[in-house]
Amino acid sequence: MTADPTSTEQPGGGRALAAFTVELDVYSGPYEGLLALILKDELEIFEVPLRELVTLYRDTNPPGPPGESPGALERDTDFVDSATSLVLLKGRALVPTAEVEGEEAEDEAPSPQDLEERLVTYLKIRRGAEALAERFAQNAGLYASGHFLRPRPERLVVGKERLAKAARRAFSRTAEPKVSHLGPITVTLQELAALIRTSLVRGPLSFEDLVRDMDRLRSAVAFSAALSMAAEGRLTLSQSEPFGPLTLEPTE
Amino acid sequence: MNGERQEITPDRAAASPAARIEAILLVSPQPVPLPALLSATALPEPEAREAIEELKSRYSPAASGIVLREVAGGFQLATNPLCSAAVERFREEARPAPLSGAAHEVLSCVLYLGPLTRAAINAARGVNSDAVVRNLIDRNLLIEAGHDQNRPGTPALLDVTEDFLLAAGARNRDDFPALDDIVDPEEISRVRERVGRLDGETDRLESTQKGGKE
Repeated sequence: MTADPTSTEQPGGGRALAAFTVELDVYSGPYEGLLALILKDELEIFEVPLRELVTLYRDTNPPGPPGESPGALERDTDFVDSATSLVLLKGRALVPTAEVEGEEAEDEAPSPQDLEERLVTYLKIRRGAEALAERFAQNAGLYASGHFLRPRPERLVVGKERLAKAARRAFSRTAEPKVSHLGPITVTLQELAALIRTSLVRGPLSFEDLVRDMDRLRSAVAFSAALSMAAEGRLTLSQSEPFGPLTLEPTE
Repeated sequence: MNGERQEITPDRAAASPAARIEAILLVSPQPVPLPALLSATALPEPEAREAIEELKSRYSPAASGIVLREVAGGFQLATNPLCSAAVERFREEARPAPLSGAAHEVLSCVLYLGPLTRAAINAARGVNSDAVVRNLIDRNLLIEAGHDQNRPGTPALLDVTEDFLLAAGARNRDDFPALDDIVDPEEISRVRERVGRLDGETDRLESTQKGGKE
């Protein structure tokens, strides 16, 4: 099961974790924002210290006597739910890909000697990483005195090879793409635009009703036609919520 | 004004070797290698080195808001880290978020075992590090420095960058302690001992299982 870690809605409509803010090295702000950034791949799950996150939650929301903090159970449940999903996401992301170097790609368990060597190498890398972290910390906050200068136009030199390559690209004809794999055209944008225009004569129209009897290809082309017509100002598209029902309305 | 044309030439005698070097370092955002300094200042190497030593003592971190660093194969003037808070307030910019433990491990892999392919980094760490590598490339601390021609698909080889040396305050790759010197030999012995014990346990379990079957 993969729960959506951003679903922190309470049955009553409020969001149990809305008040929980986090202060991490990689992110500072509402917990829900952190989840959204992770899901949008704008923040690497690798970079989020989950143990620290859980500790932070426990420190912020210490367990109280039963009944004294209404909503605590829902909040804790939501947090456990989302934190479990994060653990799952991180676990999956950490599993090495099938691409393994050369002969090590076999499924066999490593020999004790091999395991020992790997662990010793990893231990060294780990200690090296700690030493690096220390060096990075010591050298943080140093700002160089100069600024990058823009290259002066007369200093821009284009090499002969680069010029020849650019000329070849400019004067050569682009190869015609192969279209043999494409099937015959069975529906056109114009046909479906005409259908939409006709249907709109009767008033606003639900997109679902429009494509009810259509196959996937026709539905997609109908959507594209509706978008084109909306762009041209010949109809208005309205949707009350994301992924909600789409309504086409005539502009005149 | 007597109408005579005065020739304006820089008075080279007035600018000391230290002043000339200082001026070049001031306008350069990147570390300036010694040969470039010699070429720009027209100074002989011993004189330039002497001037650099003079600048080093003038820009000591205890006495100045500017420090002279010898990093990434050259010399650089930078602000004193003790003044970083004021500089960041003035420039209205926050210091980049520190790197995670995973990122330091990947850098350590590449620095000490590299140049390495992504697969080799994953194998060394035992976990998928692709996202961390991507982040480090974005931060210009790692770079694709070639291709491993001996592997199928000639995967890219990753190496550390000049920005990495700058961030670590290192003159070059040799400026880091050897990997064997970082780890306590006792710690390595403990790992070997544990693996040995694990191996013994596995043997014992296997023989018990065989005995049970017989």
